[in-house]
Amino acid sequence: MTDVQLRAVTAAYGRHDVLDEVNLVVPEGTTTAVLGGSGSGKTTLLRIIAGFMQPRSGEAVIGGRTVAGPGVWVPPERRGVGYVRQEGGLFPHLSVAGNIAFGLPWPRRRHHDRVLELLDLVGLPAEVADRRPDQLSGGQQQRVALARALAPRPGLVLLDEPFSSLDTTLRATTRDATALALRATGATAVLVTHDQDEALSFADQVAILTSGRIRQAAAPRAIYRDPVDADVAQFLGDAVFVPGEAATDGCVTCPLGTLPVRGQSPRGAVDVMLRPEQITLTPAGTGQLEATVRHVSFFGHDALVELALGDGAAEQRIRARVVGLQPPEAGDRVGLDIVGPVRAFPSRPDRPGGGQRDESPVPSSA
Amino acid sequence: MRASSRSRGVAVAATLVAALTVLPLVVVLLDASSAGVEEAVDYLVRPRVGELLANTGLLMGVTVPATVVLGTLAAWLVERTALPWAGLWRTLLLAPLAVPAFVSAYAWVTVAPWLTGFGGAALVTTLAYFPFVFLPVAALLRSLDPAEEEVARSLGLSPTRAVVRTVLPRLRPAISGGALLVALHLLAEYGVLEMMRFQTFTTAIMQRYAVGFSDASGSLLASVLLGLCLLVLTLEVVARGRRRVSRVGAGTQRPATRARLGGWTAPALVMLGTLVGLALVVPVATVLRWLGSAIGDGLVDDLLTVTASTVLLALLGGLAAVVAALPGAWLLNRRRSALTVLLERSTYLASALPGVVVGLALVTLAIDWARPLYQTLALTVLAYAILFLPRAMVALRAGLAAAPPELSEASRSLGLGGPATLVRVVLPLIGPSVLTGFVLVSLAVSTELTATLLLAPTGTDTLALAFWRETSALDYAAAAPYAAVMIVLSVPLTLLLRRQILEER
Amino acid sequence: MKRKPFVSRQHRRPLVAALLALPLALTACSTDGESEDAFAAEPGALQIYSSQHRDVTQAWAEAFTEKTGIETQVREGQDSSMGHMIVEEGEASPADVFLTENSPAMTVVERADLLAPVDEETQAQVRDGMAPSSGRWTAVAARSTVLVYNTEMISEDELPDSIMDLADPEWAGQWGAAPGGADFQAIMAGMLADRGEEETRAWLEALAENSEVYQNNIATMKAVNAGEVPVGIMYHYYWYRDQAGDKEGSANTQLHYFGQQDPGAFVSLSAGGVLESSDMPDEAQQFLAYVTSPEGQQVLVDSGSMEYAVGAGVESDPALPTLDELDAPPVDPFTLNSDTVMELMTDASIL
Repeated sequence: MTDVQLRAVTAAYGRHDVLDEVNLVVPEGTTTAVLGGSGSGKTTLLRIIAGFMQPRSGEAVIGGRTVAGPGVWVPPERRGVGYVRQEGGLFPHLSVAGNIAFGLPWPRRRHHDRVLELLDLVGLPAEVADRRPDQLSGGQQQRVALARALAPRPGLVLLDEPFSSLDTTLRATTRDATALALRATGATAVLVTHDQDEALSFADQVAILTSGRIRQAAAPRAIYRDPVDADVAQFLGDAVFVPGEAATDGCVTCPLGTLPVRGQSPRGAVDVMLRPEQITLTPAGTGQLEATVRHVSFFGHDALVELALGDGAAEQRIRARVVGLQPPEAGDRVGLDIVGPVRAFPSRPDRPGGGQRDESPVPSSA
Repeated sequence: MRASSRSRGVAVAATLVAALTVLPLVVVLLDASSAGVEEAVDYLVRPRVGELLANTGLLMGVTVPATVVLGTLAAWLVERTALPWAGLWRTLLLAPLAVPAFVSAYAWVTVAPWLTGFGGAALVTTLAYFPFVFLPVAALLRSLDPAEEEVARSLGLSPTRAVVRTVLPRLRPAISGGALLVALHLLAEYGVLEMMRFQTFTTAIMQRYAVGFSDASGSLLASVLLGLCLLVLTLEVVARGRRRVSRVGAGTQRPATRARLGGWTAPALVMLGTLVGLALVVPVATVLRWLGSAIGDGLVDDLLTVTASTVLLALLGGLAAVVAALPGAWLLNRRRSALTVLLERSTYLASALPGVVVGLALVTLAIDWARPLYQTLALTVLAYAILFLPRAMVALRAGLAAAPPELSEASRSLGLGGPATLVRVVLPLIGPSVLTGFVLVSLAVSTELTATLLLAPTGTDTLALAFWRETSALDYAAAAPYAAVMIVLSVPLTLLLRRQILEER
Repeated sequence: MKRKPFVSRQHRRPLVAALLALPLALTACSTDGESEDAFAAEPGALQIYSSQHRDVTQAWAEAFTEKTGIETQVREGQDSSMGHMIVEEGEASPADVFLTENSPAMTVVERADLLAPVDEETQAQVRDGMAPSSGRWTAVAARSTVLVYNTEMISEDELPDSIMDLADPEWAGQWGAAPGGADFQAIMAGMLADRGEEETRAWLEALAENSEVYQNNIATMKAVNAGEVPVGIMYHYYWYRDQAGDKEGSANTQLHYFGQQDPGAFVSLSAGGVLESSDMPDEAQQFLAYVTSPEGQQVLVDSGSMEYAVGAGVESDPALPTLDELDAPPVDPFTLNSDTVMELMTDASIL
C-alpha cells in the first residue's frame, strides 16, 4: 500500500539549504500537488522521494517502508516509484514501444499487449508504438513518458512539472489524460508545479511550498478559501486585500463594510482578504456599496473588473471577477455585494497588493 | 552519500589520469631546470634559437590565417551557396584528412623538388590542415538558424552585410577552435618540415635528441615549445570570446536558403577544384605512381606484418585513450567546475608536445622508476594514451552529453540498477561517440613515429616508421606502399567525419 | 510543438572538433624499425642495439643465426641517441651488443665504463689500427668522407684542394652538407682532432653561414645531382650504391677524394662492442667475432652496402679505391671527441 510520508526532511546543495524540515503526508491512492515558485525546493522534494537525492536529515517513508532516513537508503530502482519529468526524457535510441516496455521484465518486453494497453491508457493511438521519440509532439512525448512510468505498475508516480513545456490547449488535454490514467491505475501521485490552476484542478491535496517550507497542505477548496496567511492566499489565485479593524463576534470592519470572518480573527488592525469572485456587481444603486469601474480585463469566459470605492485620499481599489458576456465598461457606476465570509490576517506594513503570480518555471535541478 | 562517494572515485581516477599526462611535462621542466639559469640563458639567448622562433612564428603566421580563410570560404560555399555538387565537394574537402601530412609532404617533394624551405612548408601544412577549419565551420553553418540572417535583412542589411554581422560572429568559436588545432599541429609538426628542410622548434628538438638523447638542451627547447603551446591555448580562449552562441529560445529550425552564386559559380568551382587538386589529388596520385614501381619480392609479406603490428598498436592505443578519458569526461559532464575544467585542459598540454619529448620523458621515468615497464607494449600504449587523450576526451564528452543524467534517472526509477542502466541506456547512447574517439586515437597512433621509436618493444615496426625510413633514404618507391596503407586505413575516419557534419542538422 | 532537441547541437560540436585533430604531429627520425611481429623482447635472443644501416645489420644477424642457431633481435636507432640511451639505461640495459655507424657513439658508451673487453681473437681478426688500444670495441666497417660534385656545374680542376677551403667566401652558397647527422659529426670530430678547436670552430661558423643544409647524405647527394648546389660533403658509399642501382640520384655527379691526409679524407669507423651488463656475454662475443671474421666481413661486402671491410685480408668491393689509397688524416679514431663537436656546433648555431 503506497502512501508517502515525509518527516522533517531537510536537504541542501552544499551550504545552500533547499528544504527545511518538510513534513508531508500523501494518502494512498490520492494525488497531491506541491505548488511552489521557482527555487522553492519542489523538484528537490520530488527527487528525494524518487531516490535521486538523499536528504540531509529526516525520513522518507513510502508504503510503510522507510526509503531514506538515518542509516537507511533505498536506491531509486528498488523503490517502485514512477517518475515523469518536465521534458519527457524519453530514451532517444528506443522506439515508443521500447520506451514504454523499458521497465518491464525481459520476457514481457517482447509482448506488445502491455504497450498497447498503456498507449490506450494515456490516450495515444496504437500506431505511435513504432515511432521514434523525436517524431512525436511534445504532448505525445509526455504521454509516452507517463505510459513508461506506469508500465511496471508503480504504487507511486511522481510528476515533475510534466505539462509546463506544453502550450495551453495541449496542456489541458494532456493533464486530463494523465489524471484519467492515474485514476485508472489507482496509483498514488505527487505532482509538483508552479501553476495554481493545475494544482487546484488536478489534485486531491495541495501543498504550498515556499522557501523550502510547506506552508499549508489541504484539499483544493479548503486551501483556496482558507489560506493560512496572506502569502498562501496570493499564491493561490487572485486575492483582494483591504485594511480593516477586528470587531467583536467574528466580524471585521473595513471599507467594504462590516463582514463576517471565517476562522479565527486576530485582534486590532487586520488585512482583510477576499477572492474577487466574492464580489458581485449589481446595477448602480442596488448593491450594498457603490463603486466606479476603472478598468476591465476581458478574458472571454470571465472578466476582471477594477473598481474604485470612495474617492480622493480615501479611494480604495478592489477587483471583482464577473461572469457573463456583458461586463461593465470603464467609467460605469455599479453596485457591489459581498458574498460569503472573508479572511482576516494580522496587519502587515507591506500589505500585499493584488495576487501576482510567479510564472517563471523552476529549473529542474533546483 | 553514496552518489558522492562514487563521484569521488571517478574524481580520483580523473586526477590520476591528468597527473599521468602532466608527468612528461614535469620531467621536461625538471630536466630543463637542471641546466641552471645561466646555462639556460646562454643556450636559449642565441641567434639559432631566435631563428627557430622566427621560423616557427612565420609558419604559424602564414599557415593559420591561410587555413582559416580557405576553410571558412570553402565551408560557406558548400553549405550556404547554390554550389553545384555540394555533397561531393563536402566529401572531397574532408578527404585530405585521410592523407597524413608527411605523406603529403613526400608527394610534394617528389613532384616539385624545388619547392622546399618556407614556401613548401607553408603550402603543404596549409593544404593538409585546412580541413581542420573547414569541418567545424561547415558543421556550424549547417546547424545555424537562418532566422537571424533574415532578421538582419529585414532590418535593412544587404545579404553580404547580414552574413558579416550575424553569421560571422557566430562562427567565431568554430573558426578559433579550428585555428587552435592547426596551430598546435604546426607546433608539433616534424615530418613535413623535415622533408621541406624548414627548421622549427620541433625539428630542432628532434635534432638535439639525435645528437644527445636526453640532455638538458633538448628539454630547454621543449620548455620553450611548451610555452608556445600555452600561448596558443590562451590566444584561442581570447579569440573564442565570451559570447554565447547557443540558440536562444525554442523554435523549429528551418534549412537556410542557399545564396545564388550566379557569375561566381565558375570561379568558386575553380577555386575548390584547385584546392582539392593540390591537397588530395597530388598526394594520392603520387603515391599511386610510386606504388607502381614498388611491387617487388617480399613486399606483401613485409607490408602485412607491418600493417598488422600497426593495427594492433592502434587498437590498443585507442582503447587505452578511451578508458583513460572516461573519468575526466564523466566529471566534466556531470560535475563541471573550475577544477574539472583544469583537469581536462591539463591533458591538452602533453598532447601538444612532439611525440619525441613525451617519449623521452617516459623512457627516463621508466628507466629510473619503473624498470619492468621499459620497452614494453604497456608503456608504449601509455604514451599513446597521453599523446592522444584529448581526442578521446572530446568525443566522449559529446557522447555523454547525448546521455544526460536525466535518462539514467528515468531508467533507475523504472527499476534498473546501475549496471543495467549502463548497458541499456548509457552505452547505446554514447556508443557512437566512444567509437569515434576510439577511431580518432587509433588513426593518430597509426601515424605516430617518434614515441613509437623510443618506447616500443625491440622488434616493433610500424607503417609510419617504415615509411619514414624509406623516405629518409629518399627511396620514394619503397615508401609508397606504406603511405598507401596509411591512407586506406584513414578512409573510415573521413566517412565518420562526413556523417558528423551531416548530423549537425 | 516547440521542444528543445534532446541532445542539443551545442553538445555535439566538441565532437566535431575532436574529429579534426587528425593525423597529428608527425614526428620522426631517420632510421629504425625491424620487421618482427612480436611485441616483446624474445627471451633467449641476443639483443643487438644497432645504429648501423638496417640492411647490413640484418644481413649479419641472419647469417649469424643461420651459422650458430643463436636467435637475435635488433633494436634500431641513431648513433648518438642510441649511445646515450645505453648510458641512460646503464647496468640494466637490455642490450648485449652495440653496433654503430660511427665510432664516437661507441666512445660515449666506453667512457661510461659499460663495455666488456673484446675477445683477443676478435681483435686479431681486424686490420691493424682498427681496434682501440683499450680493447673495449672493434671496428666492423669503415667509410670515407668524399666531396660529391655535379659534373655539369663544376669541373674537376675547380674543386677545392681541402675541405677547409669550403669555408672561403668564394664557396658561399655553393656547397651542401647534412650537419644534423651523426656522419657529419664524426667528420667534424676528425677535423677537430686533426686541426684543433680554433680552425674547426671557424670552419663550422662558415658552414652555418655559407652552406645549404640537407636532411642527410642521400638528400645532399640528390641535391647535388639535381643541380641545387655544385658540391656536397658526404660519405662515399651512398654514391656507389646509387651508381650500382639506377643512378637516379647520382647520374650527374662524380666523387672527389681529398686524400693528402686532409680532414676531408677522414675515414670513419663503424664500431662494435659487447655490453658489460650483457646476460649473454658468450653469445655476444661470438657475434662480434663472427662480424669481424672473414666470413662476416664477406657478408658486409656482399650486402652491397659499399662500406669498407675492415677484416684482415678481406677485400672490399672492387669498385672502391682501397683503404690505403684514401690517404686519410692521421687521427686516432679512438679519442674522437663528439662532446666538443656538439658544443662547437651549438655555438655556431647549427644545432
